[in-house]
Amino acid sequence: MSCVVESFDPATCSTKCTVGAAVLTLMLAFSGCGNRTAGTPRAEPWFVDATRQAGLTFTHFNGMSGDFLYPEIMPPGVALLDYDNDGDLDIFVIQGRMLGKRSVSDALFPPGAALRARLFRNDLAIDDRGTRTLRFTDVTETSRIDARGYGMGAATGDFNNDGCVDLYVTNLGANQLFRNNCDGTFTDVTKPSHTESPGWSVSAAFVDYDRDGWLDLFVGHYLNYSIEANIRCFGLAGGRDYCPPHVYKPQPSTLYRNNRDGTFTDVTAAAGMAAEFGPTLGVATADFNNDGWIDIYIANDGQPNQLWINQRDGRFTNTALFAGAALGAEGEAKSSMGVDAADFDNDGDDDLIITELTGQGVDLYVNNGSAVFEEQSARAGLRLPTLPFTGFGAAWLDVDNDGWLDVLMVNGAVTQNVEAAARHETFALQQRKQLFRNTGRGRFEEAAERGGAVLQQPEVSRGAAFGDIDNDGDIDVVVGNASGPLRLLVNHVGQARHWVGLRLVGAETRRDMLGARVAVARADGSTLWRRARADGSYASANDPRVLAGLGDSATPPTIRVQWPDGRTEEWRGVAIDRYTTLEEGTGK
Amino acid sequence: MIARQVLAALLLAAIAGCGPSRPPRDLLHQVSLPDLARATDRVQAQLRAQYASLTEKRQTPATPPAELATAFGEMGRLFMAAEYRDAAEACLSNAQMLAPSDARWPYYLGHLHKARGDAVKSAAAFEQARALSPDDQATLVWLGNGRPEAAEPLFTHALSRDPRSVAALFGLGRAALARSDYTQAAQQLERALSLDPRAAVLQYPLAMAYRGLGETDKADAHMRARGPGEIRPPDPLMLDLESLLESPVAYEVRGARALDERDWKRAAAFFRKGIELAPAEPSMHHKLGTALYMDGDAPAAAAEFEQALRLSPHFAKAHYSLGIMHGASGRTRPAIEHLTAAVRADPTYVEARLRLADVLRSSARTAAALSQYEQAAKLDPRLPDAPFGHAMALVDLRRYQEARDRLREGVSTFSDNLAFRHALIRLLAAAPDDRVRDGHEAMRMMQDLLAREPRRYDVDEMMAMTFAELGQFGEAMTWQRDAMAGAERAGLKDVARRMADTLSRYQRRQPCRTPWRDDDVNQR
Repeated sequence: MSCVVESFDPATCSTKCTVGAAVLTLMLAFSGCGNRTAGTPRAEPWFVDATRQAGLTFTHFNGMSGDFLYPEIMPPGVALLDYDNDGDLDIFVIQGRMLGKRSVSDALFPPGAALRARLFRNDLAIDDRGTRTLRFTDVTETSRIDARGYGMGAATGDFNNDGCVDLYVTNLGANQLFRNNCDGTFTDVTKPSHTESPGWSVSAAFVDYDRDGWLDLFVGHYLNYSIEANIRCFGLAGGRDYCPPHVYKPQPSTLYRNNRDGTFTDVTAAAGMAAEFGPTLGVATADFNNDGWIDIYIANDGQPNQLWINQRDGRFTNTALFAGAALGAEGEAKSSMGVDAADFDNDGDDDLIITELTGQGVDLYVNNGSAVFEEQSARAGLRLPTLPFTGFGAAWLDVDNDGWLDVLMVNGAVTQNVEAAARHETFALQQRKQLFRNTGRGRFEEAAERGGAVLQQPEVSRGAAFGDIDNDGDIDVVVGNASGPLRLLVNHVGQARHWVGLRLVGAETRRDMLGARVAVARADGSTLWRRARADGSYASANDPRVLAGLGDSATPPTIRVQWPDGRTEEWRGVAIDRYTTLEEGTGK
Repeated sequence: MIARQVLAALLLAAIAGCGPSRPPRDLLHQVSLPDLARATDRVQAQLRAQYASLTEKRQTPATPPAELATAFGEMGRLFMAAEYRDAAEACLSNAQMLAPSDARWPYYLGHLHKARGDAVKSAAAFEQARALSPDDQATLVWLGNGRPEAAEPLFTHALSRDPRSVAALFGLGRAALARSDYTQAAQQLERALSLDPRAAVLQYPLAMAYRGLGETDKADAHMRARGPGEIRPPDPLMLDLESLLESPVAYEVRGARALDERDWKRAAAFFRKGIELAPAEPSMHHKLGTALYMDGDAPAAAAEFEQALRLSPHFAKAHYSLGIMHGASGRTRPAIEHLTAAVRADPTYVEARLRLADVLRSSARTAAALSQYEQAAKLDPRLPDAPFGHAMALVDLRRYQEARDRLREGVSTFSDNLAFRHALIRLLAAAPDDRVRDGHEAMRMMQDLLAREPRRYDVDEMMAMTFAELGQFGEAMTWQRDAMAGAERAGLKDVARRMADTLSRYQRRQPCRTPWRDDDVNQR
């Protein structure tokens, strides 16, 4: 006897087969069968794609011409900065150009506009009813930002303490420092400031490592690469592909000390950082050992990561290996790309999330308070769902303002999908984004559907900048896609809960005090620790303001600020559901 | 795809025992050849031949299910080797449906899903394989690696079947670490290390275990001994799959693995195969040359390096390798030519710059050597060779103050590198330049050195110099005699004889003014 399948009904998930003369109907539980109940309403997505409505028209050009040049797969970064000091975040996005001697006519995807990094001014409008309209205007020409190199990323910070945020652009080639003139324009001061840092840089961070009140600059360098010495790499079956990083040697990174006169000095060797380096892709600065001095964490691609602990005398010591923050759980150097530091478990110290290559899974380094870490991605439920993805930009953010930091990561592969390539899909590296909600018990759950359709859209995502772009009290995201459109993801869920927003500024300088730590003491006795920072993620610069979700608590919290110079001040009863500027010296 | 497999399995179960069964071909996944244009000719030929064989069997109704299963399975393996993963999955799933009791097919599916990063599907497939082959070591270990929450029973089972399984012990150690049972972790990992002392990859988790136990010295020692690598269980199925593909890159990968295992002959054999497929690929010739050189066949190695250059005259690595070979044989001029060409072709080639600097220095072209050392140090500040070579070149040029300054920087930057300390002590104790010598600093450094290093003839000699510089010639003579005795014991009679000249100076109450003996190539 045998059973011959006659039919299969996907609506009822049943199949009929005949056995001899008998007809059997088998009900089988297939994945996806019978799970949807008619009439179940869909909740509003947490993130919505607002790119087009906001007038953000930008497509990244990576110059690919079929030569599989390594730099093509690395940019672009993006930056959020309030360049005109009007209280809302503007957007700066990196652009590329043709590499080597090829002309634009050789490009596989010719650009539609002049190739130049772009500055978009935020013209946010809020009407009497509180309805927000986001609208961006391309002000690149009037800004006089002329960044025409092969751009990688950006860092932001007010290096000259004039109250206007400046911009540092990393490139394949010499970098550029643009000083904000406080009148809507910028001046390229790279040469007079001595911050060219030639080579191949991706991420950079402004950080006051010596606590003198002036922002210094760390520039992460990637690989020793030149078009002339480009190496051709192939897949196993013989098709051309992008090379892995180990075929090139890493380039030393640079620490510049701010001389307070518009110039910087390379102090890498003096700081003890010259003899150890790797191919740096991500940089995050935080006080990992809670001694009041900012440390620097470096994510290296394929080599051990570094945890530079500030020795408080101008020098740093790399403790990553013994701290358990250099390698994966099996002692392998992973392909670390993006990194962010924040207190996800609300125990008062900054932990680390690092994005990795397909097959490796993200790293979650949990800090014990003394800058000693334990990798807990599997225990936290992050490892398995991230294994299929290659992550780049990522950050800790309280998406729903419940007081627990969630994590969002943007993904995109770095080597060709052979079958997609066989179907002539050029640049077949697309992957979707991922959002993980913190359950508050040291675990995360992926919010795939709730996150919104925009997160499911597969793109070749690289940089991601996080900040409250519409000033409604929740964190939005701007994503840079390689050879793809700029993407604006607006958060629609966090505003439903109470929050407190803070801008921390210096006494005389009125600049954002990057590195300041904030304790938000809630009415229930719990304390949230947050940090004013622009660095982290990948090749990108974030909103330097602090936004802390208060959940359902409507009680104005007490805020305690540890300024970068070590002093502490307190403000009681800080207003909720709005932004408050806290100026150094005005607290108790 | 899983749904279809479940349906098929249930149907097959339902009809079991009902008489002779027909293979459920209607449920088989469609398999077609993808566009192979990007694959090499040989790989295309392999795939087409295998596909033709599969097609023939499919189109023959009388083909037994087991034979059809094997045909799909072999097609799937080849697709998998060539990274056509969707097609591989379809084939291997068909093979599994047709031969549900053959553990190979779910095993390969487990690896396929693992390669995609899909841990859930990978574990499910390995579980299916385990159900069919419960004691298979490789299945147990890979399943354990992919399911940390349920790993320990799997590794324990693997260990029960093979008490010497390093992979199982490694897995148990890592599982214990994950739950912070540092004592158990250390025990398991130490056992693994005792079975395979060369497995440097064991050192890091062992260091973490000792860190957790508060045994920082042990943690430190293991951390220093850590290294890259992979611990794989004996895995004949995957080894076989990895040998399937006949592409230059596949042979290059096999050859590189053999080089890592120090199996030079096997490596050479793989690279030769690669060259058969890609005779115009210079890197393949270079790799073959490297394997031949390591196997002791220098002339054959040189021939391959030359061939690489004929194919690509600016191939930096081939120039470098030839430069090294010529330098080792004392042929300075061609060594310099090739190393210069390497640096010209790739200005970031640090190793080439360093070796060029060394050769220039040894052939008394010291000024040119200085420039190369400087550039090498800028390119990679991690390497002590560049600043050390730079300092020694300055000594050659009698620029002792600059040499001293470079050595001081080196002591600070490379605190664990004793060569900088030795050299600095010699300069401080015996440099011909009054402005450089500092007997007290030399003595402080010697005291520190003796706390770190055992006494040897060269260390004793340095101490003698230092005492002499401080005017303590009695002590100087004592240490110099010890140095000479040490050199004699080491069989260095010539060295001992030359040391006697210095002893004579001390006897005449004259300090030493030659920091290095002419024969002291090891120290400079």
